[in-house]
Amino acid sequence: MANSIILIENLTKCFVTTDGRRHLAIDAVNVAVAEGEFVSILGPSGCGKSTLLYMVGGFVTPSSGQILVQGKLVTGPGPDRGPVFQEFALFPWKTVIENVMYGPVQQGMSRRDAREHAERLLDLVQLKKFADFYPKELSGGMRQRVAIARTLAYQPAILLMDEPFGALDAHTRTVLQNELLNIWERDRKTVLFVTHGVDEAVFLSDRVVVMTRAPGRVKAVIDIDLPRPRRRVDLLMNRQYQEYVIKLERLIEDVHLEETGP
Amino acid sequence: MSIKSVMSALVIPRAIWHNASAFLSLGVLLLLWEGLAHYINIDGFPLASEALLQVPVILREREALISIGASLWRMFLGGALALMIAVPVGLTMGRNQRTAQALSPVLTLIYPIPKAALMPIIMLWFGIGDLSKVLVIFVGVSLPLIYHSYHGAQSVDEKLLWSAMAMGMKPVERLFRVVLPSALPEVLLGCRVGLAMALIVMIASEMIARQSGAGELLFNALDMALYTDVYAIIIILAGIGFLLDWVFERIRSRLVHWAEIRQDAVVPRGRA
Repeated sequence: MANSIILIENLTKCFVTTDGRRHLAIDAVNVAVAEGEFVSILGPSGCGKSTLLYMVGGFVTPSSGQILVQGKLVTGPGPDRGPVFQEFALFPWKTVIENVMYGPVQQGMSRRDAREHAERLLDLVQLKKFADFYPKELSGGMRQRVAIARTLAYQPAILLMDEPFGALDAHTRTVLQNELLNIWERDRKTVLFVTHGVDEAVFLSDRVVVMTRAPGRVKAVIDIDLPRPRRRVDLLMNRQYQEYVIKLERLIEDVHLEETGP
Repeated sequence: MSIKSVMSALVIPRAIWHNASAFLSLGVLLLLWEGLAHYINIDGFPLASEALLQVPVILREREALISIGASLWRMFLGGALALMIAVPVGLTMGRNQRTAQALSPVLTLIYPIPKAALMPIIMLWFGIGDLSKVLVIFVGVSLPLIYHSYHGAQSVDEKLLWSAMAMGMKPVERLFRVVLPSALPEVLLGCRVGLAMALIVMIASEMIARQSGAGELLFNALDMALYTDVYAIIIILAGIGFLLDWVFERIRSRLVHWAEIRQDAVVPRGRA
């Protein structure tokens, strides 16, 4: 793709384990993501999909191949790519609003402006009342809302979401999926979303990249051609949605049955 | 009166009970001392009551107060120096393997040496004045501080650092704004150990190189066979230790209250 905001080219990651063995986590992966696109990376646990995301984030260095973000080679983390982790990773010594203010202040915004900005974002994730709470005082779903607000606060061009709803109960997960889509509809940021949930991937994405078991390779890329804005309850009866889910479930089943390569 | 109301009247609030039991055990200890001293009846073991009564007498002497003040001042200097140097060193070791590999062997070697045993060497280099004593306190406090800072920094959640990196935070800034606060509960644990260490080393150093100080007060009293004074000074030192620990505990719980909040303290209603 010519105007890709993320271009992953021939990316390989090989870890050396503590006993000296080499473990190939990612093998020759190519993915292109267009600006404003919502792309999910779907695969079984241990397939290296998170590692792939960390490399796009610049947190992990590739063994070979390269990643271009907005045409520039990724050499480390930067505020153009905002991560949201499964473990929330909020600063526990900061209150909710201070967490959200952190990025903007770091980027040179005055504390006063940052506070106003953070208040708007907390309003967006419906946590305004909890501004002065500490992360420990919040439930998992609330913490992840704060984490999303904190990342949105420094206005990254790309959101990198690493199984963000994986640690939440089913109900909370559904609520947050809806909220995420609502937020995304407003400014359509580019999102790279790692998940092992088929229905989550179909519901959220424009495109789903299915990965094989370790070493992670691209097994298939499926375009999700469902109208937006989407609502979960509407989709459940949607024939097309069901077909996508079945198709992806089959692919994942294949992945599980396949023997890993020699 | 019903049995129930009698029972509830007997239930002493936990806070009072807690304090009361502390006083009780202290009282029992003093009583045992008093009785034993009566029974043994030698010069080197005065009555608890005599020693206690000697405490205000000593505290009214200008000379004694100056001595104790001088000791505390050296302890403060040594401790402050250790905080400024040992904490960053420990934190860096926890985040940087090469630093840890370089420094670990040295620390492992120094660790088991009684810090007072370093005193003669330090005295050879820096004389018998304040500087030597401050330095030996510094060494004594530094080791537990480095150790706990190191462990605290090692267990910092990597994703916290990544989040900070994505916001554009540079390495040195991350050390003080992410690693330090993350490791703070553990660092403060090291501070508490360091505080006890400082008291021990403070007295020991003054025992070796006599100079105005609480330790000198103690050993002079011993030399002059003022045994009641010896015991009274020990009581004063214990009091100072207790007071410092109490103040430290107040500060500590203020600094890391965020780590100790229980989730059931808040009831989020309706919202996931």
